[in-house]
Amino acid sequence: MSGLVTRRTVLAGGAAGLLAAPWVARAQANTLRIGMQSILSGPIALLGTSSRNSLLIEQDRINAAGGFLGRPIEFVFRDSKGQPQEAARITRELVNSTGCELLIDAEASSGSFAVQEVVRDLGTIACIHTNSETSSLTADPKIRAPTAFRVARQGVHDAVAGSIYLADYASAKKLNKWATCSPDYAYGRDTTAQYLQFFKQFKPDVEVITDAWPKLGQPDFTEVITKLIQAKPQALFTLLYAGDLSAFVNQGNVYALFSQMMVATPNVDYPVLAAIKNLPPGIQSATRYLETFPDTPANKEWGQAYLKRWNERPTNWSWQNSVAMHFYEEAIRKTNSLDAKALAAALAGMKINSPFGADGTITMRDDHTTVGYAIGWGQTTPKEPFIIDVKPADWGKIIELETEWKKQQKYI
Amino acid sequence: MKGHPALRDLAIAAIVLIVVLAVPAFHRSPAFEDFIIRLSAMALFASSLNLLVGNTGMVSFGHGMFYGFGAYAFALTMQMTELSLPVAAVLAVALTTFAALCVGAICVRLSTDYFAFITLAFQMLFFSIIISWQSLTGGDQGLRGGIPRREIFGFEIGSQLRLYQFCAVVAVLGLLALRHITTSPFGQTLRMIRDNENRASFLGVVLWRARLQAFTIAGAFAGIGGVLAALFVSGAYPELADWPNSGQAIFAVMLGGIDSFLGPVLGAMILLALNDVVTRFTEYYGLVLGLVILAFALGLRRGVLDFIRLARPGRAK
Amino acid sequence: MNLDALGACLATSACVVTQTTSGLIVGMLLFLVAAGVTLIFGVLKIVNFAHGTFYMLGGYVAYTALGATDSYTLAVLSGAFAMALFGVLFERLLISRVYGSNVLMQLLVCYAAVLIFDDVVKIVWGPEFHAMGMPPAFQVPPLFIAGGVVPPFYAVLIGIAALIAIVLGLGLSMTRLGKTVRAAAINPQMVSALGVNTTALFAIVFAIGGGLAGLAGALAAPVRSLSPGMGFSILIESFIVTVIGGMGSIAGALVAALVIGLVRGFGTIGFPQFTDGMIYIVMIVILLLRPQGLFGRRA
Repeated sequence: MSGLVTRRTVLAGGAAGLLAAPWVARAQANTLRIGMQSILSGPIALLGTSSRNSLLIEQDRINAAGGFLGRPIEFVFRDSKGQPQEAARITRELVNSTGCELLIDAEASSGSFAVQEVVRDLGTIACIHTNSETSSLTADPKIRAPTAFRVARQGVHDAVAGSIYLADYASAKKLNKWATCSPDYAYGRDTTAQYLQFFKQFKPDVEVITDAWPKLGQPDFTEVITKLIQAKPQALFTLLYAGDLSAFVNQGNVYALFSQMMVATPNVDYPVLAAIKNLPPGIQSATRYLETFPDTPANKEWGQAYLKRWNERPTNWSWQNSVAMHFYEEAIRKTNSLDAKALAAALAGMKINSPFGADGTITMRDDHTTVGYAIGWGQTTPKEPFIIDVKPADWGKIIELETEWKKQQKYI
Repeated sequence: MKGHPALRDLAIAAIVLIVVLAVPAFHRSPAFEDFIIRLSAMALFASSLNLLVGNTGMVSFGHGMFYGFGAYAFALTMQMTELSLPVAAVLAVALTTFAALCVGAICVRLSTDYFAFITLAFQMLFFSIIISWQSLTGGDQGLRGGIPRREIFGFEIGSQLRLYQFCAVVAVLGLLALRHITTSPFGQTLRMIRDNENRASFLGVVLWRARLQAFTIAGAFAGIGGVLAALFVSGAYPELADWPNSGQAIFAVMLGGIDSFLGPVLGAMILLALNDVVTRFTEYYGLVLGLVILAFALGLRRGVLDFIRLARPGRAK
Repeated sequence: MNLDALGACLATSACVVTQTTSGLIVGMLLFLVAAGVTLIFGVLKIVNFAHGTFYMLGGYVAYTALGATDSYTLAVLSGAFAMALFGVLFERLLISRVYGSNVLMQLLVCYAAVLIFDDVVKIVWGPEFHAMGMPPAFQVPPLFIAGGVVPPFYAVLIGIAALIAIVLGLGLSMTRLGKTVRAAAINPQMVSALGVNTTALFAIVFAIGGGLAGLAGALAAPVRSLSPGMGFSILIESFIVTVIGGMGSIAGALVAALVIGLVRGFGTIGFPQFTDGMIYIVMIVILLLRPQGLFGRRA
């Protein structure tokens, strides 16, 4: 019934908005609307729903604390179905017709690039990308937009952190012969290349003896698994994720893959852990989101609150969206305004306290992307806390190598 | 019904165009303008498909290939050359036409179901080329970096209003041209092939040549739709060339009416409006769209315009 | 291209055995789905675009049944039978209304069903993916045959699928029902005129097709991920199989499914970047040279 009521209210609100003269509508609209768009349907709907869940918690928290500028906030959620042209349309609609005064762009990469162009075009709205990990979105000065920011992991940070960890691990265990198996599309290819580049820099004697590129969403990985087994590498690096990773692990178990080689992946997260029934111990993995890393009461409390409210554990996307709202909150408090240019000026260089920071803080750097968030690598175990012996990454090293990479790409 | 039909079409087109162009002078609504821009692309795409499906009886499952081809050809030309916008657009459409000619030459001899499947196979092949030829197309991430907005004769397409005017003009002219083709003797030949290919053959029509011409023309107009789509998203994305996009055009044709010239335009309108409204209220868009389609398919058993025409026999042809 | 690696693989029995098994398992599961598509097309002249949905639902039903009964056998059987029943309902309630309409009307109805059931799955089972987990009986180390790796679970699946292929083949050629089905594929009016209840026949064909797809989904559930929309890639692959094998030919579907499985199994070693493109090109070439497919009858 509540669904029906909200729908009616929204319909009525929409009709009123259409009929009333603009100034009347504005006077009534004390509520501050924040547009949020993501993939809420289809096979990777988890991207959107776990982001939305986290934002609804933020909405309650912020409103309980008096809202933004004394106005209660309300999210307007839209589903782009993962299509860039829909993403572009929705951004325009959220700003132009729905009257949203801030944007959270929780699209996957291709959608976020489409949103970026619209935000640049509009010029008068602040936007935070919360889910796109593709580095060039903010690293490439041609693509960066004046009022758009990113609060999310970033491919190049993960690659540096992972490579350092894996190089140490490989040296300790004398693993020189590696194989890779990543999804055959831009994320899989670019990020694998990035990892390998850094990996070889830290451990020059490493050798990749075979590579496999399954298609995204391919139902069966058997031929890929048997190919890997035949090549007899000592270790396997894979960027498969979500359902694909889960299928790969289940099918790998059939061939006892995990007893034949060490496996490393940055992508073991709670949904994967929940879905895989026979998780092999000892997979080297990054922590996308983990309640026990950083091992602080604040992080644990946030994870438990999420679990309690939604009856499932948060994802990597959940914390990113939560942090985006913290940045907005702090920037609005500082500038006392919603003006995009003022907010952008405040956000660049801002440092906030956060349960998800490596040292309890996260910084929004001048190039519109976050640094200092928790990155760690550890190994899987079938029981809680699922990933143990987590080693935090060295952010000094990450920034140093990121700068080098940016120079290589001619971004700076 | 009196007077010269071509003149009547011209008059209707002129009135529609004037009304659409006049709207922003009275009321600026970005949502409405976006809707018209998207409708322009979609209407051309769906109407071009109906030249094959409704007029010639050729069921293509892979028409989205040419929509995507037009979008990529245009966006790439704009990014890689210094050509002005109209030149790039004409070049993109010419390339798409050529691609349609090549694919058509291979496909048109096959009969109904096989034709549908081979066009689908070509589209899948084209899609997998876009995905794997990453250095050119950006792969699954699409062609990023925006389409440069070069001024043409002081007409700057960057602003929303200009894009709106441009798309409206192109769409109306394109539909008028398609209408002209449909009503021409060539269009009548195509309908004769649809209704009875043996008879057409006896009357001296070279079946494959007429079909290939129809396929090529349809590809060209889908390409124009693709150019408009690329302008709207300021880039090109593989989704434009993917199978579900062909499905959208098929839905538009079937929902609007296969035997009415404006059926696909109405169908495109219904689909876009449904999308814009439904996604506001629910993430179960597929469920709603599926039920609506079933209601049309099993309830009306034909598209809206066809249904109206049959329900009003006085005006039936 | 890495033809040296392919040559080296073909020269060792270990590699041949391992890659052949992996080709067989992919191919046989694909055959179960494609057999339904081709059977339905053969008899009813309907291109069932919703067939991937049967596969998906079969997997989900098995997932739930396993949770309820804790028995993999029961889970698989319930997946198959539920989809046989679903096939009948689908045919009676939806498909029977578009017999004789053009292929686009059929596409419209089937695709509507795909959209609806993808969302129904999301509502019932949630948007996140699930995995069924390997039944304890099969949590054993793989066998080694001539140096090649053969997992017992896959050996069993291949056996079941092969058994079904044989039963289906014998059933079509030996039994009265099978002969009626084959006759209906050639001349439905005549079969109807001879007093066969075609309504029941069509429902049975859909039950068999749906049941086989559900069975495939259920059998594969322990190793593949369940997610809304998972039927789509299976659907496209089974279309390719149907077209290559010849629309309406069960034997053709078997051969084509195995060919695709083996092209994947060995292609991943010889030309990993190009296996998909290869398969589309094979499909186009076959449509051009032999539109009725390898085993199809010329219309």
